[in-house]
Amino acid sequence: MTGAQAAGLHGREADSAAASAVKTMQAEGRHAEARERYAELVGRHQRRASRIAFHYMRDSAEADEAVQDAFVKAYQHLASFREELPFEVWFTRILINGCLDRIKARTRREKWVAPMPDGPTGGRDFGERVAGHGPSPEDHLLARERRQTLARALSRLPERQRSVFMLSHYEGCTSREVSALTGLNESTVRVHLFRAIRKLRTLLAESAAGEKNVEKRRVNH
Amino acid sequence: MSIINRLRLSAHLDEAALVSLWTDATLGGSPVAHPHLERCSACRNRFAELAAWLDTMRLDAVAEADEHFSTERLATQNTQILRRLEAAERPARVIAFPTFTQPFTSRSSHVSRWTAAAAAAGLIVGVGLGQLTDLRHSLTPRTPAGAPLTATAPPVGVAATVPLPKPGGREELFLSELDASISRAPAELRALDAFTPRAGDQVR
Repeated sequence: MTGAQAAGLHGREADSAAASAVKTMQAEGRHAEARERYAELVGRHQRRASRIAFHYMRDSAEADEAVQDAFVKAYQHLASFREELPFEVWFTRILINGCLDRIKARTRREKWVAPMPDGPTGGRDFGERVAGHGPSPEDHLLARERRQTLARALSRLPERQRSVFMLSHYEGCTSREVSALTGLNESTVRVHLFRAIRKLRTLLAESAAGEKNVEKRRVNH
Repeated sequence: MSIINRLRLSAHLDEAALVSLWTDATLGGSPVAHPHLERCSACRNRFAELAAWLDTMRLDAVAEADEHFSTERLATQNTQILRRLEAAERPARVIAFPTFTQPFTSRSSHVSRWTAAAAAAGLIVGVGLGQLTDLRHSLTPRTPAGAPLTATAPPVGVAATVPLPKPGGREELFLSELDASISRAPAELRALDAFTPRAGDQVR
């Protein structure tokens, strides 16, 4: 067993213990203590949850709200949590469902309401960027373009392929974990991951070829 | 080893096979193992390239998310979550309804009861009388459709005292008023009026 796996196992045990303790405290009406103990769980899973939510939503404010909602919902429904399932899996499922609901709502909204135009540097991110140390503006721009291209390609994947790809590749979940999170068979998870990568390769290659053509035309003119 | 197996192992791995190898290794958490990869450096390089491409993608995605969620932002998020939990558990505040010196219910005396009864009786009597009046009107004989209207005309003497309007009387009145006002007008305006052609002159 590797160090990381052992740490993961210990973390899971700690999560289960904390979740059970919070559940008991809630049942006994010791709410302040329950909240205090739950704060530990929040602290342990917050970063990962925010990352997952951001990969789904592609908007930090919406991801933040989705994470908050998921933690509040998990706390309120902790009585239905079964100890045989890791807390992480149970919670991530709540989070993903919340994100998917938000995406559906956003798609509906965008159908009827014209979106606010972003500035040339991306109006939404502007306030979040801090001047000073870090990569140069050119690096920022290149990284931004690369991420946008990837995000566009990811958004063109079917929902299940996207979920499986993000959970297994970005979050390092095993096929069993992805299966528990998505409700798919382990073999289906494998097929979805395989298809997702192949499709991403094709989409990104097409996008790169398109950019090259545009560049060529610009040079010829 | 059979010839077919040897041939299969000597053939280069296509992209689908490389992706499949990578998928199995990632989901199973085991290192990549394939006999052809051990022998063929070209395929090994291609696989390394694929793995590097995917790793870059992952690192980029994680870095992007972490850029948005700094430690301070996560601390704020944590505080907000706990505040929301606290607010959800706090029992709802009930605002006290203003109290009165004497409750309304104690005023249910005989007077109010009699007032209500009198109002109801008044309503019933009114509706009944209304119905009776309607009935009487419907029983009186109606004028036949072809009958001359002189039967309901006012007496002749009354009609004679009222001056009948002559045709064009109003216009006459208006014109006389107009003449009077012109005669009252200043001299300058009268001169202007003098050389203004009259409608009557035009007709003639």
